[in-house]
Amino acid sequence: MSAILERRWVRDFDWLLLLLAVALSAFGTWMIFNAQPDAPFWKKQVLGLAVSLVVMLAVAFTDYRKLVHIAPAFYIFGLALLVIVLIPHVGLKINGQRCWIGVPGLGQFQPSEFMKIPTVLMLARYFGKPRSAPLTVREMIAGGLILAVPVGLIMLEPDTGQALTYFPLLAVVLFLSSVRMWLVLAALVVGTASVPGMWYVGTHSGLIKNYQQERINVILDPENADRRGFGYHTWQSIVTVGKGGITGSVSKGDASQSKLKFLPEPHTDFIFAVTAENTGFVGCVLLLLAYAVLLTKLIHGARRAPDRTGMLVIMAIVGGLAFQIFINVGMALGILPVIGVPLPLMSAGISAILATFVAIGFAISIRLRRFVN
Amino acid sequence: MKFEDETQNLKLRMTIIHGLVFAILVVLGARLYYLQVVNGEYYAERAENQRVRHLRIPAPRGAIFDRNGKLLVDSRSTYNIILSAEDMKGKNLADLVAPLSEGLGVDPDILHERFEQARSQAAFEEITVKEGAGPADLAWVDAHTLEMPMLLVREQPQRRYPDGGVLAHVLGYVGEISPEQLKQPKFKDYADNPYHPGDIVGLEGLEATYDRYLRGKDGYREVEVDSRGRIQRDLALVKPQPGQDLVTTIDLDLQLTAEEQLKNSPTKRGVIVVMNPQNGEILAMASYPTFDPNLFSQRIGTPAGRAEARKLLLDPVFPLYNRAIRGRYPPGSTWKPLMATAGLQQGAITLKNSHLVCGGGITIGNKFTRCMGSHGAPDLRTAIRVSCDAYFYRLGLKMTLDGIEQMVDEFDLNKRTGVDLPHELVSWTPSREFKARFNPRDAEWRDIDTVYASFGQVYDFITPLASLRAHSAVANGGRLYVPHLLLEARPVGEVGPFQERPRQVFAQSEPKILNIPEDQHHLVVDGMWAVVNEAGTGTAARIPGFDVAGKTGTAQVVGLGKDTGKNKDHSWFVSYAPAFNPEVSMIALIENVGFGGKFAAPAVHNVYAAYLREHHPELAPPATAAEQMAKR
Repeated sequence: MSAILERRWVRDFDWLLLLLAVALSAFGTWMIFNAQPDAPFWKKQVLGLAVSLVVMLAVAFTDYRKLVHIAPAFYIFGLALLVIVLIPHVGLKINGQRCWIGVPGLGQFQPSEFMKIPTVLMLARYFGKPRSAPLTVREMIAGGLILAVPVGLIMLEPDTGQALTYFPLLAVVLFLSSVRMWLVLAALVVGTASVPGMWYVGTHSGLIKNYQQERINVILDPENADRRGFGYHTWQSIVTVGKGGITGSVSKGDASQSKLKFLPEPHTDFIFAVTAENTGFVGCVLLLLAYAVLLTKLIHGARRAPDRTGMLVIMAIVGGLAFQIFINVGMALGILPVIGVPLPLMSAGISAILATFVAIGFAISIRLRRFVN
Repeated sequence: MKFEDETQNLKLRMTIIHGLVFAILVVLGARLYYLQVVNGEYYAERAENQRVRHLRIPAPRGAIFDRNGKLLVDSRSTYNIILSAEDMKGKNLADLVAPLSEGLGVDPDILHERFEQARSQAAFEEITVKEGAGPADLAWVDAHTLEMPMLLVREQPQRRYPDGGVLAHVLGYVGEISPEQLKQPKFKDYADNPYHPGDIVGLEGLEATYDRYLRGKDGYREVEVDSRGRIQRDLALVKPQPGQDLVTTIDLDLQLTAEEQLKNSPTKRGVIVVMNPQNGEILAMASYPTFDPNLFSQRIGTPAGRAEARKLLLDPVFPLYNRAIRGRYPPGSTWKPLMATAGLQQGAITLKNSHLVCGGGITIGNKFTRCMGSHGAPDLRTAIRVSCDAYFYRLGLKMTLDGIEQMVDEFDLNKRTGVDLPHELVSWTPSREFKARFNPRDAEWRDIDTVYASFGQVYDFITPLASLRAHSAVANGGRLYVPHLLLEARPVGEVGPFQERPRQVFAQSEPKILNIPEDQHHLVVDGMWAVVNEAGTGTAARIPGFDVAGKTGTAQVVGLGKDTGKNKDHSWFVSYAPAFNPEVSMIALIENVGFGGKFAAPAVHNVYAAYLREHHPELAPPATAAEQMAKR
């Protein structure tokens, strides 16, 4: 029994997905090394990758349905961590944000990264029942509440970037739970149309803070914006990316933008700019292709999921990853304002890589059970 | 699909999400293409610009020597503390005033002013915080590199001028180029060696005239810096090319002697210029009172220095003026040799009959203008020797104003001499226009005006250098040279990318030829010889064996016979020697002391003595006890 099971697992295991994820992480670690060769970040990332692989395998070989079943427990545990991180002296304040909990010997971890998993599981659990009718308002409110609690806590840190990454999880789940198409379209139209109005109200009421306004102005005209103040990050990132050219510029013996500290946060938020500088257009396009393949494989897995719950888990993960890639790379390329969102599998940070691998573990677990019912 | 969801278009919805994911990646890819492939080179250049910086290495300025190779001016190394503007953008300069003024002991007002000036310039590179920083200042900067990485120490060669204001008016001084100067074509159109804000340039004297030779070409250190401007490594080094050394025509010993004469004069104000009449080389040019050029090159940044400069500018005796080229004085009787030469040339008098009546004076209309003595009816030689005013009244009337103007024109008295110093003034000479301007209520030129103009008063205001130049032409028989101070700029070899700078010898133009017949020339010179050697007015300048010729002059300051204390007449003596083969000519003017023969002539005598000690020691008169004292 066990031998048969294991042979089947080896056969059905999504090796390509795993390989892709590990390759991306290894590539990311190399870029972290390029960004900060003298700092310990890349070594930590190697350690994080090793830990992540173990945890991922554990998740992959556990029946996801069991985990979804006890999702409320994870969810409450996660919320507890999000509360704990807000307590002064327990939560570490870095750059004005209280996002990290220090763990003696291991460093710091970021509850807001992990909380995505229980949130996804909770959403999948709630919307996973077989359905035959369009989404009701009550269901939408329930989904909104599942999301609102962790997002609210994260906004207290405050970490707008992380909070934003939760929204696509709900959006995808609702979209795939028969929310009426006309509602989706209406939301899109109203949302787009109300941007100028909200901008006006936000800037005049002070809800959009000055630095946030500046960061958005910078996108519109980085060349002439305040290149040494609010526009600094965006401008330096654009220069770093552009400098990479077609095949990368660091090999020519120039000191890199990150080594000279022109590029801020090169190992985390701006890891894509480092990649662009080191590997040029060729490397960046290959990286984007790798993401395309990874996400396609995940969507493929979702299509074959044994039940709605599994499908929703994978698709929410797809939505979250795609959103983060878009926000992070868009920021590095100067088409989106500076928002601190890590690039999945690339940015330095054990919390982020671990959370991503857990997500991939779920995808593999779901795929492994596609024929079992 | 394993589950029953076909009714809600689930497949379509998942395809839409898949499509959205691809769309996002395509948008990002397109943006990447734009940044890296289309504009890659542009951004590479931008990155290069922010990472590579050129630190200027100022070139040493050329030294200045006298004709015998004695050092007059050189530069020594000092250290300036500067703010690198590159690291200051977006920061508030005003916040730095307090810590800097406290830490470096700089007047906060001066810092405010400099910061304000820097702000008004679009592209300033650096701001000087303190010049001539001492070891304590350097240590302070070193200790504060973390908080203030924009503070840099720059080695700056500083000009050192001789003490006591020696030769100050000739040497001039250097200073920082001003934003206004940078806009002037003189400094702007200099593609070969462009000027930058903060550059040290010659502002006065030879420093200004020959700035293009003296100025070296700055080198630079090309370094890689990080985002905070801290140097990471050296990329290249271009050494500066020093400026060319100047060799001047000045003879320092003679200069010191000349200055000594002025310093020891009763009013301590005046001019002495010594020239070689055969080629226009100026051997000495002393103007008193003088000033310390080190004030402008070193101390102008301090409050005390500024107060000192302000005082100099407001000083009623104008110490900053080079009286040799900017002082316009009535020439008095030193006008007469020129009148005599022109009178002979124009035929107003002749060699055979040069007698004119003195009569103790002349009556024009109902006004009697007297002579200082009664000389009967002297000939020209006598008239020059005894300085008979009335003789020249009548000579002037015979020449008429036109004749006098012709003389002025002939001796270039209405033009600049062309000496290689900035700010030379043109003398004022008699003309109908000048009178109309000078005395508009009685604008018409009358005979009495001709009388005044003919003995060097009222309508004649001549710079000492123009006068010396004219008399040198009388001395050498009619060749009018351009007086000059430069002998040559020494060559400088090739340094790195900078080409060799060849030797530049002063190019004396062909002299203006005045066509003075030899016999007429001889007569005038003979008269001037008699002034010194035959009981004339200038016997105080006599040196046995060295035929000094000369002419005294007493320039009225307030009018004939109004010799009140403060406004006493100026004392002139113009001279050359040996009389019939002159190798040196000089002019001396002592302000407000009185009669020319009594003050200017002895001063000239002493300068001749110094000249002879150097060139003809066998003829040199023994130094007087007073001179020996002075030399010590």
